[in-house]
Amino acid sequence: MSLAEAPAAPPVPAPAPVAWLRLLRSELRLVLGRRRNQVLLAGLALVPVLLGTVLALTRDSALSGQGPSFVGQVTGNGLFLVVAALFLCLPFLLPLCIGIASGDAVAGEAGAGTLRYLLVVPVPRTRLLTVKAVAALVFAACAVLAVAVTGLVVGALYFGLHDVTLLSGSTVPVGEGVLRVAGIVAYVALSLTGLVAVGLFFSTLTEVPVGAMAATVVVAIVSTVLDSLPQVSAIHPGLLTHHWFDFAEFLRVQVDYGVLGQGLAVQAAWVALFGSLAWARFTTADITS
Amino acid sequence: MAETTPRPPSPRAPSPRARWAVPGVVAVAVAAAVGVPALASADADLPDVTAEQLLTRVAEAGPAPVQGTVVYTARLGLPELPVSEMTGADPLALLGGSSTLRVWSDGADRSRVSLLGATSEYSVVRDGAEAWTYSSTDDEAVHYALDAADQARYDALAERVRPGAEVPGGADLPTPEQAAAQLLAHAEEDADVTVDRPTTVAGRDAYQLVVSPTDDATLVSRVVVAVDAETSAPLRVQVWATQDGEAPSLEVGFTDVAFTAPDDTVLAFSAPAGATTEEVVVPLPDAPDAAAALPGAGTVPEGVAVSGSGWSTVVTLSDVDVAGLVGGDAASLGTVPGAERLLGSEEAQDLIQEFVPQDDEGRPTGPQLDTGALYDQLTTAVPEGRLLSSTLLSVLVTEDGRVLVGSVPADALRAAA
Repeated sequence: MSLAEAPAAPPVPAPAPVAWLRLLRSELRLVLGRRRNQVLLAGLALVPVLLGTVLALTRDSALSGQGPSFVGQVTGNGLFLVVAALFLCLPFLLPLCIGIASGDAVAGEAGAGTLRYLLVVPVPRTRLLTVKAVAALVFAACAVLAVAVTGLVVGALYFGLHDVTLLSGSTVPVGEGVLRVAGIVAYVALSLTGLVAVGLFFSTLTEVPVGAMAATVVVAIVSTVLDSLPQVSAIHPGLLTHHWFDFAEFLRVQVDYGVLGQGLAVQAAWVALFGSLAWARFTTADITS
Repeated sequence: MAETTPRPPSPRAPSPRARWAVPGVVAVAVAAAVGVPALASADADLPDVTAEQLLTRVAEAGPAPVQGTVVYTARLGLPELPVSEMTGADPLALLGGSSTLRVWSDGADRSRVSLLGATSEYSVVRDGAEAWTYSSTDDEAVHYALDAADQARYDALAERVRPGAEVPGGADLPTPEQAAAQLLAHAEEDADVTVDRPTTVAGRDAYQLVVSPTDDATLVSRVVVAVDAETSAPLRVQVWATQDGEAPSLEVGFTDVAFTAPDDTVLAFSAPAGATTEEVVVPLPDAPDAAAALPGAGTVPEGVAVSGSGWSTVVTLSDVDVAGLVGGDAASLGTVPGAERLLGSEEAQDLIQEFVPQDDEGRPTGPQLDTGALYDQLTTAVPEGRLLSSTLLSVLVTEDGRVLVGSVPADALRAAA
């Protein structure tokens, strides 16, 4: 039976936006209600808790003020716990969670054999894919927020919030500091959209969700490796991960929005390319399971 | 029975082939968005000027407020130094590779220059006779200032050159035309000065002034200065070496520039709370000293000999304690963050403590840039001593404590030693 013939005269078709929202709601309930995804979010939220506890316990010892960028500043200002935790999660932990959520989006249904039943419902495949994509993006945003919000709470509890010393040596009041950190959180979340699109595309290629998840994480890692090779510096500006750490721009005395815009433009290009690939694949594929 | 086929959902829907064309179109659009601006930066179309006219305009324009991004690239042919990966934003990174700086200046005596690292920054802020440097990597500020007496002298001097104030002997100062003519005449003694095709730098049309040494003995092939057509401010300087015709050995230029006054918050600086602050008092040279330090003053300090002329000049410094300089102040080069070693057992930790350098409070300072090793890596042993050879400059350190520096091939230095 084809998709076109599937609707045996639906009784009263709901108007498109309502149907879309209803579908999105059920998809979000599915993604956010899944135990595995909840554990992932809890694991991410644990990072700032662990980091903050370790730094609070060692702050009076000889080991204070040491560590990679931002970690040294945390004991002086709890706001930096958000930045330090994001800095530590960005290279691997966040891509891993994104890969699991977006790689599972379509392949998970196909693997469980529920996708063909989903397609029997009179829902155009394009709309189904859009809903899957939005749900994956919402999960990515939740992942970043889980790190940021626990970071803020734990940082404020352990170290308090103070005026922020920028990388340039200037000091801004705590209110502006919070806004700048919010900018960092937003930029990091938007930086992950390209990876979500890549994961969604892999997810439409296979019926084995683990394959799509692994491939997505591998893309992020390969991109990081290529980014560290000076021999291929010509392709660096277009790499998925190249602009991820440009969030530091928010901590300079004059934020250059051109630099941030460039990073977001690269993400938009990846989203457009892999989003359209996923759409072409999903709307033309033989779905047999 | 629930199997679905790839058949399109409705008769008007595009065919699978048309659907697969969409990613292709997107790919082409992305490629076009990347490629078109690169192609569009063709040569600028500007009215012709002579070198003298161009220099006159530069002299007339004088310093102006400016802010922008500067990219500095060095291809000196030195061994690779992974400095920036080890220490974040560090001035040592300027020895090789590419660095991005951000520059703000009010056109008078206040400015800020920031060397950007991925998640770090090294800033130099100048306000009149005062200057600050701040390194975000080790949260350390250094304040350079004059002592009270020198500050008073500096203020008096600054008052004299302020616009509107009467300049003693002001009538003797050359006009921009005369200054340009003098400079040109001086440069043409041992180089050809020409104006090359106009170009585009940081999206602005620019003239190119080319200074090519006539001297064959020097390593410098030519120096190219791009001058903004509208404001006559220099936008880019390239130094080309004779050994490398592909790319300039040194290039520093704006990638993004605006000729507007920077914000006051950018130019202001005070040491951030909690940062280590070091005070350095800089002596202001007496007026006669300043005159002697000017080039062309004729006298050279003791222990310095000059041979050759023009672009192939070789300067010889005698009685330099190179070993002391190199082995000395390693601590000033900064520590490496994140490199402290922590082991599980106390015995192992004690063992590590034996070998890891520590500062006064017993904190592990992490491995430091070993300047001695750096020196060994950069230089090669030759019969006369140790030689540093780059595409633009050669330095020979002899066994008997002489240092020969010149923009000449290494063999010329060895012959001179």
